[in-house]
Amino acid sequence: MVETLSTAAENTWCPGCGNFGILNAVKKAVKTLEEHGIQRDHLIISSGIGCHGKIFDYLNLSGLYSLHGRSIATVQGIKLANPELKIIDFVGDGDAFGEGISHIIFAAKRNADITVITHDNGTYALTTGQFSPTSVRGFKGPSTPTGAIEDPINPVTLLMEVGATFVARGYAGKIDHLTDLIVNAVEHEGFSFIDVLQPSVVFHDTYKEYNEQIEILEKIPDSYDEAVRLAKRNERKLPIGIFYQTSKPVFHRELYGDWNPVKNHVNKKERVEKIRKYIEGEP
Amino acid sequence: MMDEPRDYKKRRKTRMDKDLFTLIIGGKAGQGTTKAGMTAAHLFSSMNRDVFQMNDYPSLIRGGHNFSVVSSSVGLLHSHYLEANLIIALDKRSYDTHINHVAKNGILVVNSDEVKGEGIGIPITTEAKKYSNPFLISGLASIAILAALIGTTNQELRKIIRSEYTRNIEENLAFSLSIYDIAEKTIGKKFVLKKGDKKKRLLTGNDAIALGAYAAGLDLYFAYPMTPSSSLLHFYAHHGKELGVAAIQPENEIAVANMAIGATFAGTRTMVGTSGGGFDLMQEAFSLAGMIEAPVLFYLGQRPGPSTGVPTYTEQGELRYALNPGHGEFPRIVASPGSVEEAFYLTAELLDLVWRFQTPGILLTEKHLAETIMSSTLEPEKTKWAEPLMHNSGEYLRYHDTSHGISPLLFPPSSSTIKWNSYEHDESGYTTEKPEIITQMHQKRRKKSQSLIAYLKTIHTVNTFGKGGSNIFTFGSTTMSVLEALDYSDIKATVIQPIYLEPFPVWELEKYRAKNGIVVEMNSTGQLATLLHDKVGIHSKTLIQKYDGRPFNPTELAQQIKEAL
Repeated sequence: MVETLSTAAENTWCPGCGNFGILNAVKKAVKTLEEHGIQRDHLIISSGIGCHGKIFDYLNLSGLYSLHGRSIATVQGIKLANPELKIIDFVGDGDAFGEGISHIIFAAKRNADITVITHDNGTYALTTGQFSPTSVRGFKGPSTPTGAIEDPINPVTLLMEVGATFVARGYAGKIDHLTDLIVNAVEHEGFSFIDVLQPSVVFHDTYKEYNEQIEILEKIPDSYDEAVRLAKRNERKLPIGIFYQTSKPVFHRELYGDWNPVKNHVNKKERVEKIRKYIEGEP
Repeated sequence: MMDEPRDYKKRRKTRMDKDLFTLIIGGKAGQGTTKAGMTAAHLFSSMNRDVFQMNDYPSLIRGGHNFSVVSSSVGLLHSHYLEANLIIALDKRSYDTHINHVAKNGILVVNSDEVKGEGIGIPITTEAKKYSNPFLISGLASIAILAALIGTTNQELRKIIRSEYTRNIEENLAFSLSIYDIAEKTIGKKFVLKKGDKKKRLLTGNDAIALGAYAAGLDLYFAYPMTPSSSLLHFYAHHGKELGVAAIQPENEIAVANMAIGATFAGTRTMVGTSGGGFDLMQEAFSLAGMIEAPVLFYLGQRPGPSTGVPTYTEQGELRYALNPGHGEFPRIVASPGSVEEAFYLTAELLDLVWRFQTPGILLTEKHLAETIMSSTLEPEKTKWAEPLMHNSGEYLRYHDTSHGISPLLFPPSSSTIKWNSYEHDESGYTTEKPEIITQMHQKRRKKSQSLIAYLKTIHTVNTFGKGGSNIFTFGSTTMSVLEALDYSDIKATVIQPIYLEPFPVWELEKYRAKNGIVVEMNSTGQLATLLHDKVGIHSKTLIQKYDGRPFNPTELAQQIKEAL
């Protein structure tokens, strides 16, 4: 049995990094999910490449440490192979909205039954702090010495638009709130997405700004339009919480109902018979 | 170990005993030349004749020039011929293109409403205009003309039309019978074709590949549409439910390959299919599969490149490319089938191999094999079955450093933690940068390469056909052209076809080093010739190449081989 969620891997995140908050929230969420009846061995993790990805080595859970930008494709394959598994995929903002943006859009579009948690620090920290898809205009990094000249992507409104059925924003500095979001996201049937605001103490230290602006949503907004309005960043307020949740058929069920490719693997004898039937059945 | 697979020697026949008959149907895209060609193929097949059908079509939906070549014979047939005993030109362009393809004593039938020229005229358009969809129906005329020529009875023709053209059946019957009556007066029973003695199944290369992968245990097939692999996606989409296989079409080839890798992590047998351009996008994932040791089979169907190239035609320009995709060092398995039947068994064998050695493999083919229809006999119980080495008990280490380099597998859910890792990793799958572990893991993957070679030495990796004479080296679908050329001109030679291209079966090929050979391949740089030279030390005295997108015509190839002997 998996005794503990920690591993022997040495943690190399910078002291004070927002990633610690996310790791702690995940550990707490896994315990709650177990209490809710989701077995730990059914929780499968994946991650992209970047500071966020190191969480793969720090969690004693089975999974696949994927490529930069590709983990959302990887986990959809895992889910399709064995729909009984519950998927938590950790991605970075550069990972999900730069290199791999097509995958997150299509995963949401087809309502793949997976949970995607974005460690959104608005910079490519592991490669020394270049501007990223969610960097604010004017962000100064080694590749943008005079400031970024592009506007940022808003992950929350983007994911709502393309069909995600659970869209939330969390903050690495509010661990209990984030824990609840993760539990809700994993329990949601369909594509669930949490954009986690994650300060990078070295390259993009946003603790002060976030601590001043963060406001927890009192409830899920009543309408889609209201959710979009609230999710747009306003200079003075930065709401966190579940923005949108709806129910839609999930991809693997639409594709093949209750069939489970791993469990229902057709044996050799049956295959031989079916091939014979096919060969003899048509001219 | 068997030489001359599938009783080649027993069934080899020369042109004289083959009773060759070739039909060419030319028309515009949308006119149904491919469908008519397939129906003709079924007609020949019902006479127990071997069939080889090649469809030539440009990358467009309506208009242009399409043609279908259907050759048939008594006994083994490896290729179509371009010298036709019957040519049916539905339009002017077909007439201009094929006027020189009429064989000695061959017959040219033209649609006299559109073509003024040589040949026997039949007013196909005028007759077709009596029905609700004159353009679509006109292709059917070719079946009626063929039937009249070879003495198929009125009743037999009705039966064929009923089974092959199921929409608007009464109109189809009336139209084809009226053409049949016209044709019978001029060319009726001009050819009497021999019947063969063995009923075979008509299959495209892609059909055989689809069935071969299924026979070996395939569960999931991922692909993004691209000629010439698309029909594999369609096959699984149509037959998946009855077979217990699913076809998935993700957003691009990058997602295709990464989803397939994820699916193997959970324990399903998976394959992906594409052509060169799509495979370019998969290289990143190919390298990932090498590192995390994911058993994924990549189907790479070649067409003329570089870049978009000539999408619906054929070439073998990606041999060297298929041997070296993906960054970094890791074992990979590449093999290419030389016939539709071989494609069936080889696909199953490759799926077994990628699971046995937990490394990516490539099934390399060409449009010419993928979309050609050939008479085939498949014995599904003789295929391999993909079954990995599994972990039994005790502590689980995903990358356990065994003596053969192969680490036992375990699938989730499991009480043990299973970590597949794209970073260099230790035996348990955790990220590492330690020099001694980096070295150890490189060596583990090297051991796996050596185990793979040791295993390949115990199986059939090179086909040889014939004995004595010059050595002719070829690979993939060009093997079919070479074998037919030798039959046609009754040339004595030994044909050597490496089925496996990586690891390259040097141990089987070394014995041919003493003599310079002839190399036949469909590319402009002589990739097989350089491979034979670099890896085995075999020199080629003549290189016969073709790189115009069209497969070899056996009569021309026979001439080239004779000149090279």
